[in-house]
Amino acid sequence: MKDRCRDVLERLVEATTGTLAPAQREGIAEHLAVCDRCREEAAALEATVSRLREAGQFHTPPEFWAQFTNRLTERIANDRLPATARLRRWIALPRHAWGTAAVTAAAALAITAGVRLGPTPPSHDPVRDQVRTLVTDTMNSTLPSLGEMLEVMGAGFPNEIDLANDRARP
Amino acid sequence: MDAEDRVLLDAFRRGEDSAFSALVIKYRESVYRVARRMLGNHEDASDAAQEVFIRAHRALLRFDGRSQLYTWLYRITVNLCLDMRGRSTRLPLAGEDDDGDERSSAPGVEEQAESRETGRAVARAVVELPPRQRAMVTLRLYQDLPYLEIARIMGCSEGTVKATMFAALRRLRRALSDQGVRQP
Repeated sequence: MKDRCRDVLERLVEATTGTLAPAQREGIAEHLAVCDRCREEAAALEATVSRLREAGQFHTPPEFWAQFTNRLTERIANDRLPATARLRRWIALPRHAWGTAAVTAAAALAITAGVRLGPTPPSHDPVRDQVRTLVTDTMNSTLPSLGEMLEVMGAGFPNEIDLANDRARP
Repeated sequence: MDAEDRVLLDAFRRGEDSAFSALVIKYRESVYRVARRMLGNHEDASDAAQEVFIRAHRALLRFDGRSQLYTWLYRITVNLCLDMRGRSTRLPLAGEDDDGDERSSAPGVEEQAESRETGRAVARAVVELPPRQRAMVTLRLYQDLPYLEIARIMGCSEGTVKATMFAALRRLRRALSDQGVRQP
């Protein structure tokens, strides 16, 4: 097959289904005028397309579309939208628009402030400080896990415990 | 996107359900016709068209509007039909009278009978094509979609659509000839 024939055959589909630009259509017509084989192929394709398109439209019973729409409406009513879709629709409602904008702005402000100020320092705990002063190096060397034990216990101490009273006891 | 579709889509986003009903009325016949060509019978096509609009209703808020709404609906339809076709048991057999309601405007009784027979033969030939060829033939010849739109729907290049169409038309030509359909 010649290159020109191959090129024409590739574009015949466009030509026969009616989407080829007029300039390109002319180029094909010139080739078909001198090439019997491509002319036969073009005629056959054109006849097939014509037959396919002439085959008619589907017709539905007169009451079909009313029933179709009723059934669909019913199904949609029973088919709840996903939560994200319902949220989007809620946000898009004009009466919610200002509220949504205000909440978004407040959230953005809070996030920005949080990023700028950084993490908050650990709070000062006077009870734990008092406990630490009572523990000597000797006690630590004798009981290596004493520090850890006091941390665990300290975590459970309420703030109002006064260790000074315990120390005064004999 | 089509201006009317955009208005309806915006209304749907604002919570107006009647906007979706308007879209259904606008596109239901096109969606049904694609499904009917692809599946070959009324019952499956009707079920498919219902399912297309259910899926569209769920996903419409995510539709970005970069393509035409009908392109998006056809993509849902084609994918659904390809999927249904893979597991369907109601496909027409050769010679089965599944297209009894396919009509044309042929005037005389004999012409009408011949036309109906041709319509059935064409529908059978189309439905026997490989699935992707069938989808492309349906979208190009019956929905008159440009090749670029078909390529978007099928997720391939325009060149692939043209090459596939060429192969499909040759196959249809042989099938119609085998069924004794005369050329017009």
